[in-house]
Amino acid sequence: MKSMTRALCVLAMTAHGAFAGTVEIDMVHIQSNPGELKLMDEMAAAYEASHPDVKIKVRKFGEDYKTMLSTALQSEDAPDVIYSWGGGVLSDQVNAGLLRDIGGVLADDSKSAVGPAGIDAFTRDGKLYGIAQNVSEVVFWYNKDLFAKAGVDVASMMTWDGLLAGVKKIKDAGITPISLGAKDKWTAAFYWDYLALRLAGKGGLEVARTGANDGFLAPAFVKAGEEFLKLAELEPFQKGFEAAGYASSSGVFGDGNAAMILMGDWNYQESKTNSTSGQSVPDDKLGFFAFPSLQDEKGNPTDTLGGINGWVFSKNASDEAVKFMAWYQDAANLAKFAKGGYYIPINVKAADSLENPFQRQIAKDIGASTYHAIFFDQSLGVNAGNAVNDVSSSLASKAISAVDAAGDVEDAMAGDR
Amino acid sequence: MTSTTIATANAEAGRVRLRINRTHLAAIVLLVPAVVLFGVFVVLPILQALRFSFYDWNGYGSPSKFVGIENYIKVVSQRHFGTALRNTTFIALVSLLVQLPLALWLALSLYRNTWFTAFLRTVFFLPYMLAEIAAGLMWNFMYDGNYGLAHSLADAIGVEPKFVLADPAWVMPAIAVVLVWKYFGFHMMIYIAALQGIPNDMVEAARLDGAKPWQIVRHIKIPLIRSALAVTAFFAITGSLQLFDLIVPLTNGGPNNASLTIVGFLYQFGVTRMRIGFGSAVSIVLFAICVVVSIIYQRAARIVEK
Repeated sequence: MKSMTRALCVLAMTAHGAFAGTVEIDMVHIQSNPGELKLMDEMAAAYEASHPDVKIKVRKFGEDYKTMLSTALQSEDAPDVIYSWGGGVLSDQVNAGLLRDIGGVLADDSKSAVGPAGIDAFTRDGKLYGIAQNVSEVVFWYNKDLFAKAGVDVASMMTWDGLLAGVKKIKDAGITPISLGAKDKWTAAFYWDYLALRLAGKGGLEVARTGANDGFLAPAFVKAGEEFLKLAELEPFQKGFEAAGYASSSGVFGDGNAAMILMGDWNYQESKTNSTSGQSVPDDKLGFFAFPSLQDEKGNPTDTLGGINGWVFSKNASDEAVKFMAWYQDAANLAKFAKGGYYIPINVKAADSLENPFQRQIAKDIGASTYHAIFFDQSLGVNAGNAVNDVSSSLASKAISAVDAAGDVEDAMAGDR
Repeated sequence: MTSTTIATANAEAGRVRLRINRTHLAAIVLLVPAVVLFGVFVVLPILQALRFSFYDWNGYGSPSKFVGIENYIKVVSQRHFGTALRNTTFIALVSLLVQLPLALWLALSLYRNTWFTAFLRTVFFLPYMLAEIAAGLMWNFMYDGNYGLAHSLADAIGVEPKFVLADPAWVMPAIAVVLVWKYFGFHMMIYIAALQGIPNDMVEAARLDGAKPWQIVRHIKIPLIRSALAVTAFFAITGSLQLFDLIVPLTNGGPNNASLTIVGFLYQFGVTRMRIGFGSAVSIVLFAICVVVSIIYQRAARIVEK
């Protein structure tokens, strides 16, 4: 009986192999730029043409990407290739055994192309789970005309005190200093993230994550809240920022109604999309500077905040899926995405194809970064990450004390340790 | 003798059993699908949520870290939970005390069939047909002091626009306006249907007896649409307890969690943070509130019926 079953199984398997013939690769993402989507489809079609045995399905998951993914990944029909921001979410997925270690399949030159930071972002316990694709950095975008009108020199914004003084000056000139969309709480979190990164530094952040020395209740993190409150005290944000989302705030900046916005490199495009004119601030009036440095900071002024995004593979993904992604990520292909300006590739060779001067500069900055910290709502995991978002938006409207803010983050983090 | 008795008794019992089977067979056959569906889609998830609420679980794998009632303690001690309870109560009160009287008043004025009342009825019913998300986005734009209607209005009068959705003191009243606007048409329609069912001769008779219009409303119409009133009150309460999708595009629970409802709280602090255990605990608390409310409702409805 047993041997009969076994024979049947073998038969079934061979039959499956014979009939299957083609390998299906199911790829899910959350990209939305129409040009990028078109290019992604073209890439999939090109690969299918040269690999007749491969079928690629490119699918967009909606806004609730992370929630949908956690369900999809645990289903029988899990997608093979998944767009990922790395961070704590990746750790959760790895710990649940949902992802595939691709270290053995990925060729060495694919590994070296993403650099040590790219490898690091997708490595857990010495195993590689993904291929890094693009990087982003959060900077202060500013409107040169409005700075000139208020008589503010951008060089004075290199220190936090200088920034506070500049904000006052801009406000006195009757201009809204900063645009913020605190309804989307993550926009406010960039302030807390950066202040914590500057004040605690890489080492301090790593210690806080383990919970040692009071974790996120350590003085550096309380101070981050205090400094944020100092900024909020100046009421630097546009009226109604508490109810404005990111799209609205990028429009306010794009329309020249605010002098600055602390936002990722993607804001270059978004401010165009969301401004009334569709043009945003003209290139020659637009500039950006790094988040200022603070007194007594333990971090480095050249530490940066941003993301390293890429693609991970579910546990049942085929070798073919990894090979396809390696091809998709080779310099020549990534260069097409860079040329379109859809993102800044982590692959330095591909980044050379960036045509936009702002993106070129940001790519250079990230290359020179002493430590590229991942957005806290990614790196700390969804729970503590969302706690950071939540307290940050409250800090922006002075609705929470710095100690309570740090406490909320620590409470959330404590539950996940 | 003995064996005959037993045999008779057995036959008797068999008949009884048979009779029970026959009378209940139809009931069982008809009940099974409903019971199965109810069990699988209602009872089972509730029991699951109850189980999850005792675990610290992020949704990956199966729950393994049992924490007892810790999640419940966290829910109750979370400082925003009080806000959520308060807001939900506020919404329920507005629904009952503002929305339903408004709907009743309009229904009384519009229930007779003429082309004009039919037109107005359609207009009033339109907001109800809009998707919640669309309605929320629309009002978010109307309230926006930078680009929206609030901006144009303030501009026309020459005052500074007020950002009601950004102000913790104004955000709930502003949401209540949207809520009333969105749902009064629905309640109005139920009342109209009930009012049209009142026999005309009854109203006629009252009028001949010298009853004034208000007296007719008070003593004839309202008592006769009692059950419609009860149903709408029930809808208003359950709708308030579940309110969520209208608020997401309006404020996303902000500013600073000032407009969280119970379900909004569950979503913000449970679902988006992937704390399934905590979220389940919130849902069990909500379930308990629903049970208590429905018991009170049943009692009240029975008293009104009497």
